[in-house]
Amino acid sequence: MDLSALPAWLEASALATAIRNSLYLFALIESFHVVGVSIVVGTVLVIDLRLLGLASIRRPFTVIATDVFRWTWLAFALAVVTGALMFVTNATSYYVNTYFRVKMAMLVLAGLNMVAFELTARRSVAAWDRHPAAPPAGKRVAVLSLAVWIVVIFLGRWVGFTLSTTTAPANEEINLEELENLIPK
Amino acid sequence: MKPFAEWLAQTAPSLAIQNHEWVIPTIQSIHILAICAFVGSVLMIDLHVLGWAWRDQSLRETTARFGPWVSWALGVLLATGVLMIVGEPARELLAISFWMKMALVLVAVFAQARLRRRPAKPLAAATFLVVVGVIVLGRLIAYDYVWGSWSAWMKA
Repeated sequence: MDLSALPAWLEASALATAIRNSLYLFALIESFHVVGVSIVVGTVLVIDLRLLGLASIRRPFTVIATDVFRWTWLAFALAVVTGALMFVTNATSYYVNTYFRVKMAMLVLAGLNMVAFELTARRSVAAWDRHPAAPPAGKRVAVLSLAVWIVVIFLGRWVGFTLSTTTAPANEEINLEELENLIPK
Repeated sequence: MKPFAEWLAQTAPSLAIQNHEWVIPTIQSIHILAICAFVGSVLMIDLHVLGWAWRDQSLRETTARFGPWVSWALGVLLATGVLMIVGEPARELLAISFWMKMALVLVAVFAQARLRRRPAKPLAAATFLVVVGVIVLGRLIAYDYVWGSWSAWMKA
């Protein structure tokens, strides 16, 4: 199967066409993408600061992780679904966008970082659960996690500013030429 | 509002921002990072009140942990928000999404303050939904045409 044809096929799908032809859908989907991303990064921040010994240091790590991660995953699901919908809407443009590609690579890195945590510091958690900070392996994961998510936020915004596409449908009430000066992403 | 936006767009600070393409995306990225800290911290306080997290400590302890983050994030949001208005006055000030967002920000701040004094589950849930509304309206500023003739963009 030729994967390079996939973006064009996605973009031609009924779902993508429906989103492109709606005045509201893309804007709403992108808005809830920001909601999802904000909760993901905001909750990850709570965990990372705990690992580094900078906040919530008097509570056991495992208790905080249980409290927080379910919301991280819920929000991540929202971000993935809305992100996928944005992607199919203009798949060929996203596919060739360098910032988008680096952002996806960063998300893979975030996943690998999580696996690294499970294979190292998480295994000995019983020994440091009540300590103010995680051992060095856990701290390294936290620093990389913070760096990756900050970069992901910047890249996401840069995708919005560099994508060469129109998401607003033609509408006679709206003079798109006049609006062009007013609307950056 | 339109004359003010046009005047502001001609001032030196606004022109400085307009003349460097990387400035607006950078300010927006920092604004979103502050939203992450803000919404994460608000969520933790709300979840505590709702009884869904942090129940092994007192609400006072939870607000002591996350309250300062809410305040600091709000400060960064106001600062970067002002810079975005200076950089793109018409885009912000003529957007009805912007003014609805500002109204909801006020509601969110008062609701959070009240929640810490008189914790109640419905208020905690409502506060979080208001913050979600703030984020959605913030993004809709870029798409203010969705409001049709309500948006001053249409008359600009």
